[in-house]
Amino acid sequence: MTVSQTSWTKPAPRSPVPTKVIARPNRTPQVQAYVPEWLKGTAVTMRHFFENTKERMLGQKRDPVLENFEGGITTIEYPEERRPYPDRFRGLHRLTMRDDGSPRCVACLCCSTACPAQCIHIEPAEYAEGDERRGYERYPSVFVIDELRCVFCGFCVEACPCDAIRMDTGMHPAAYDSRDQFIYDSPILLSMVGRDGSRKTENARHEPGDSTHPGVTRKHEAH
Amino acid sequence: MTWASLVFSFVKVLVVVLFLLNMAAITVWLDRRQSAMLQDRVGPNRAVVYLPSGIVRALLTLPAVLIAGALAVPMWAAAPGLEIPRMTQGVELAIFVAWSGLLLLSSHVRRNGAENAFDEAVGSIEPRAYFYRGLVAHVVAAVLVQLVPTSLNAPGGVAWGTGIAGSIAAGAVLMTALYASAKVPDGKVGIRLAGTLHAVADAIKLIWKEDLRPKNADKLLYAIAPLLAMFPALVTFAVIPMGSTLCFQDIDKNHALSFVDLANIAGVVDRTGVCAVGQIPVSLAVADLNVGLLYVFAIAGTGIIGAALAGWASNNKWALLGGLRATSQMVSYEVAMGLSITGLLMIVGSVHMQQIVDWQGRHAWGIFVQPVAFFLFLAALVAETKRVPFDQPEGESEIIAGYFLEYSGMKFGLFFLGEYAEFVFSSALLVTLFFGGYHLPFLDPDGVRVAIGNTTFYELKLTHLAVSLIHLGVFFGKTIIVTWLQVFIRWTLPRFRYDQLMKLGWTKLLPAALVNILVTGMIILGIEAASPGVQSGLQALCDVTQALVAVGGVLALVAIITGLLEPAKHKQVAVSSTARYALGAGGVKATKMGA
Repeated sequence: MTVSQTSWTKPAPRSPVPTKVIARPNRTPQVQAYVPEWLKGTAVTMRHFFENTKERMLGQKRDPVLENFEGGITTIEYPEERRPYPDRFRGLHRLTMRDDGSPRCVACLCCSTACPAQCIHIEPAEYAEGDERRGYERYPSVFVIDELRCVFCGFCVEACPCDAIRMDTGMHPAAYDSRDQFIYDSPILLSMVGRDGSRKTENARHEPGDSTHPGVTRKHEAH
Repeated sequence: MTWASLVFSFVKVLVVVLFLLNMAAITVWLDRRQSAMLQDRVGPNRAVVYLPSGIVRALLTLPAVLIAGALAVPMWAAAPGLEIPRMTQGVELAIFVAWSGLLLLSSHVRRNGAENAFDEAVGSIEPRAYFYRGLVAHVVAAVLVQLVPTSLNAPGGVAWGTGIAGSIAAGAVLMTALYASAKVPDGKVGIRLAGTLHAVADAIKLIWKEDLRPKNADKLLYAIAPLLAMFPALVTFAVIPMGSTLCFQDIDKNHALSFVDLANIAGVVDRTGVCAVGQIPVSLAVADLNVGLLYVFAIAGTGIIGAALAGWASNNKWALLGGLRATSQMVSYEVAMGLSITGLLMIVGSVHMQQIVDWQGRHAWGIFVQPVAFFLFLAALVAETKRVPFDQPEGESEIIAGYFLEYSGMKFGLFFLGEYAEFVFSSALLVTLFFGGYHLPFLDPDGVRVAIGNTTFYELKLTHLAVSLIHLGVFFGKTIIVTWLQVFIRWTLPRFRYDQLMKLGWTKLLPAALVNILVTGMIILGIEAASPGVQSGLQALCDVTQALVAVGGVLALVAIITGLLEPAKHKQVAVSSTARYALGAGGVKATKMGA
């Protein structure tokens, strides 16, 4: 048996690592003199400066979304300029109104149940004795959304059977000073308008007693 | 020293300090804004002060009423006859106000839409057309006024041509201001001043910020270091002449400046600018020292102490390294700085700032007689003020922020302000030594005189007061322009390595400065030995450089204005879904809140 001459503690000699010789940068007298190159560089920066200044001179700034493919200033100067939100953007909530100004909400708790962030708090209440709606539906005596906790998933809107809660305001929560300013109660929610400027919805509401009302009315009580 | 001269000196000090501090704050802002604008961003331009529209309207109209009054009243009062030069001034001013006002209006219409038919007509014309037509109108008016027959001035003729010209100018100013104030919307109006209010906001913020001191810092040295850094920047400006020497009449014959004399500035001075016998000359430098430039070097040298002390007193190794770097760098470059300027001093034969400026006015600007020295001096100056590419003392990548690393609040603010005040001062020094100081080409102390050699092409007499005011404006204007140009250095060049910095200073700038001195000396000897013909030829050559500056300046101004007014061409590309949404909503600019 032949014993290897190299000890096992010492690794076998490797072939030398292939090296790549990187050439020194080309130091021509022009580069070494520095001043011409500096002037050239200044010309480049100045060109950029004047091109961008020109675009701001006569209100002819590029639209940063539509025209920004060729360079130029891409800053969107909020709030004078805004990137438009798409039509189905889920913004702050609003509570829609009936024709008489009361909320469409019937306090069924579907939205607060569906809410994964548990940011909706509703306290349902019965209408007063003698009100036509008493016994059919309830109303929210308290309707509060914590917009700071909301994840803007839109499940509440999907869950609502009455089209009473919507997220079509097109607004995002502002940067307030304190947390309690993010708690929106029903007067605030009712005061917000949709993108069409309306506090109602396109979907008609059929009150009990209307001829279009599809469901049971008090007249069916006898059956 | 009389009370009047004391008050006058106080005013000069106030002007210098206010100019330096305000320019320093604005330059801090300019630095950021310019860097953003050349990197396709906007930069800080959103600081805003809301004023009631009534106040904004008053701010627009009241100065206009004052200017109009100042234009029209003297023209009528001093115009029993038809003075062609004054009439020319009035008409030219009216034309200038007209075209620039229309240009502003067209810019407003393009931004905010037209309100009436006049707006629409103004906005529909290409903006450059106003400028071109304005230039043509300037030339045509200048020729037409010369054609007005002086016989109109005869008794029984029209003796109020000057008054009419003044009234036209005043009317143009008033019309522009009134129309602009009518455009101010009701309610509160946001004033932005192109973003310069950010300088104010920054200062307020720094003053109210917490002032921290490291636990083991040297209390006294830590506190006085920012003051020592600020001090030389303010004090060196004292010897820079801000304008030509003023001549006051000695009304009360006491051979000293008194308050009566202050109100009686000499009507005219002769072409040399030297005050007549009996008049009292008053320099527009805070301290008219005959050691001028040496004083600058001496005081600027003390700037090292602030940086070194700050580095030591902070009890921080990075700060200490920064302080050491600052010290060795400033000591090294002071040598090159002093030697590079020696050639110019040999030519002028004086270190008195006023005399250096006067020499440049009589012959040629320093940059033409000492082009090599200009670049050497510029490099040394940039290193001396510790700015890019020589800002190793505060190299963020190696020693965080250098010697002012531990400073916060207004102490940090003082370092910053001092650095930028020094920067503005360095521009003023460049202007004084290499760009003719307060001189404009072909503007002699007694008026405009376009001449090359012994041939005079055009002459216009101006009063001493008018020339002095122009000189004052020219000096500050040149300083601001050079500051603006120097900021470009920062956004163009990367930082050197520290050994490269030392090598550049000692093995390149220093020998080059010595060679420059040698060559300059030989040329001076050659010229002194040359025949009178050669010497007058050299004087003509100097006049040619002045003409070059004048023509170049005008061409650059025209090129910048026409370039900036050139319409930009944009192409809409709606490829992404966001862009398509934006297109449907009319784009980013049209989108209002809530949409």
